[in-house]
Amino acid sequence: MRLYEFEAGDLFRSEGIPVPDFLVADSPEQAREAALKIGFPVVVKAQVLTGGRGLAGGVQAAESPEQAEEIARWILKSTIRGLPVNRVMVVKKAEVAREFYLGVTIDGLAGCPVVILSTAGGVSIEETARTHPEMVVSTQVPISSGLGLAEAAKMAQKASLTGDESARIAEILHKLYRVFRHYDATIAEINPLVRTAKGEYLALDAKMEIDDSSLFRHPDLPISPEDRIASSLEKKGRQIGVTYVELDGEVGIISTGAGLGMATMDIVNQRYRPANFLETGGGISEELLYRVMELVMQKKGLKAVFLNLLGGINPIHEGAKGIVRFLQEHPTDIPIVARAMGNRQEETRQVLREGGVEVVNAVATEEGVEQLFRRLEGKR
Amino acid sequence: MSILLNNKTRVLVQGITGRVGRAQTKWMLEYGTNIVAGVTPGKGGEEVEGVPVYNSVAQAVAERGAEASVFFVPPPAVKAAAIETIDAGVSLIVVVTEHVPVHDAMEIKAYASERGVRLLGPTSPGIITPGEAKMGIMPGNMFQPGRIGVISRSGTLAYEICVDLAAAGLGQSTAAGMGADPVTFTSMSELLALFDADPGTDLVVIVGEVGGRQEEHAAQFIARQMKKPVVAYVAGHSVPEGKRMGHAGAIVQGNMGTTKSKMSALQKAGVKVAEYPRDVVKLVQNQLK
Repeated sequence: MRLYEFEAGDLFRSEGIPVPDFLVADSPEQAREAALKIGFPVVVKAQVLTGGRGLAGGVQAAESPEQAEEIARWILKSTIRGLPVNRVMVVKKAEVAREFYLGVTIDGLAGCPVVILSTAGGVSIEETARTHPEMVVSTQVPISSGLGLAEAAKMAQKASLTGDESARIAEILHKLYRVFRHYDATIAEINPLVRTAKGEYLALDAKMEIDDSSLFRHPDLPISPEDRIASSLEKKGRQIGVTYVELDGEVGIISTGAGLGMATMDIVNQRYRPANFLETGGGISEELLYRVMELVMQKKGLKAVFLNLLGGINPIHEGAKGIVRFLQEHPTDIPIVARAMGNRQEETRQVLREGGVEVVNAVATEEGVEQLFRRLEGKR
Repeated sequence: MSILLNNKTRVLVQGITGRVGRAQTKWMLEYGTNIVAGVTPGKGGEEVEGVPVYNSVAQAVAERGAEASVFFVPPPAVKAAAIETIDAGVSLIVVVTEHVPVHDAMEIKAYASERGVRLLGPTSPGIITPGEAKMGIMPGNMFQPGRIGVISRSGTLAYEICVDLAAAGLGQSTAAGMGADPVTFTSMSELLALFDADPGTDLVVIVGEVGGRQEEHAAQFIARQMKKPVVAYVAGHSVPEGKRMGHAGAIVQGNMGTTKSKMSALQKAGVKVAEYPRDVVKLVQNQLK
């Protein structure tokens, strides 16, 4: 789950990372009030869960209350990479003397945190790594010992920082690592961290993603993952406990596994476009599949549904009953084709057939999808 | 022959008294797995499908000689259970549990590697040596004994590929599910090395998917030292950028984690790469000629 900048900023501040004063506003009038409280000049920043705000005009400075209001009005009407902007952050403008990049993320292959420090702040770290690799210092951190002050200081020295600057950056890096660990983050990033003309150090941006699987142990976070899903169908998917990804095609896909679901999408995509990806996870029941059918059938422009049911951990024969019950209560003209393999495959096929659902007899998913294509083209 | 598991392996089931644990224990026993004990704290003295249940792993190891363990433990309890199991001297742990916090996975991985213990997962479908034994949730009827090694990030896609192979008379020596999370306990390259050394395996099939760098890293390993032929399929050509596709690790971010990157790295390493799951069969047949 990605956090908004103001949410991450609050968490950074709670660990002692210096963050400039800011307020959050959801109307132009509120932005004006906020700017008056903070004092000019201010920067008005769009709060959206994507990068590229600056280029889209989502970050602008204001010298007066009128200007702050006007900029906020414009930003709150805009969309950035397709996402509407519902809130802005109003923050004290800093006079920047030097910029740095500080980040902590997970090295999936090594299976440990990796801490990155660069003296090229304000640009993407991927870009710096490509153009000026000598300006990027990165260290894999043993998770049992963590990134202590001494290790952080070594990184600062490696980045050719000296004196007080080196000590300050090391301290903030150490604190950023603590935020990362404390909140089960997958990314914690400050880009840029700046030294101001007055010699203060400030985090001028705050980016954080928290591992969804860890939310059970962070009841203190006043943040709900559902709130940040833009598609109403995707939100419903999350509510019933499945992964639904809305797509712009016409063939609905229901799969009892993620890998199989992606492969099914690839196969469907040869001739038609998938309307959605839906993966049930390992906890299916009659009720769940009933709700899954209800969800997938809501998509506008749907022309067919392919169900790929593999019985490993899942009792697919139970799921089949839910599919049949939904279709009996909501008869439809569009072709619905189901494939069932694995544990309880015979029982599942029987439940589906007796309920009037077309069942694939072939072994491979490709053959099942071809059968659906034939039905879409009006052939038996 | 096989890797990691055979019908002699003395298997422990953790979380055996739960709904999934019970159901899967029955399937594993029917398949021939040598399950010697179960563990659920507080349920010691019970029996599940005739298998004695203990309160602790240490007891199960001391009294029943358990040497490998499969987890049907809820996500918040996985870290403590893994540490207990590693400390008790079990040498193979299969974590079927989904939604294990990734920071816990990093801690478990570090703890296990310091002690030389092999884990698969998290979110692993398990491991199966067809005709002998299985630890995990793989449906036995989709596999067949033979000489193809299979490594998969996804469970259902491993079943899909193996049933296609089996239909063409191509059985498997072992199929190992490495799991679909961003941090996996054992890498694709490590599993390739095990299959390369297994006299019962002639060829290895990699079943990959979008996200992460496992396939790219495996390609480097293959180019450097793999002796046996490798065939691969990578799912997700059609997935949109920035969306997590059901698995925590299955996400394309910019140019990172795309099927294109994975397929071209594997092809450069000499791997035959299938565009769709069923094509794996033809590529395997050609390689074995």
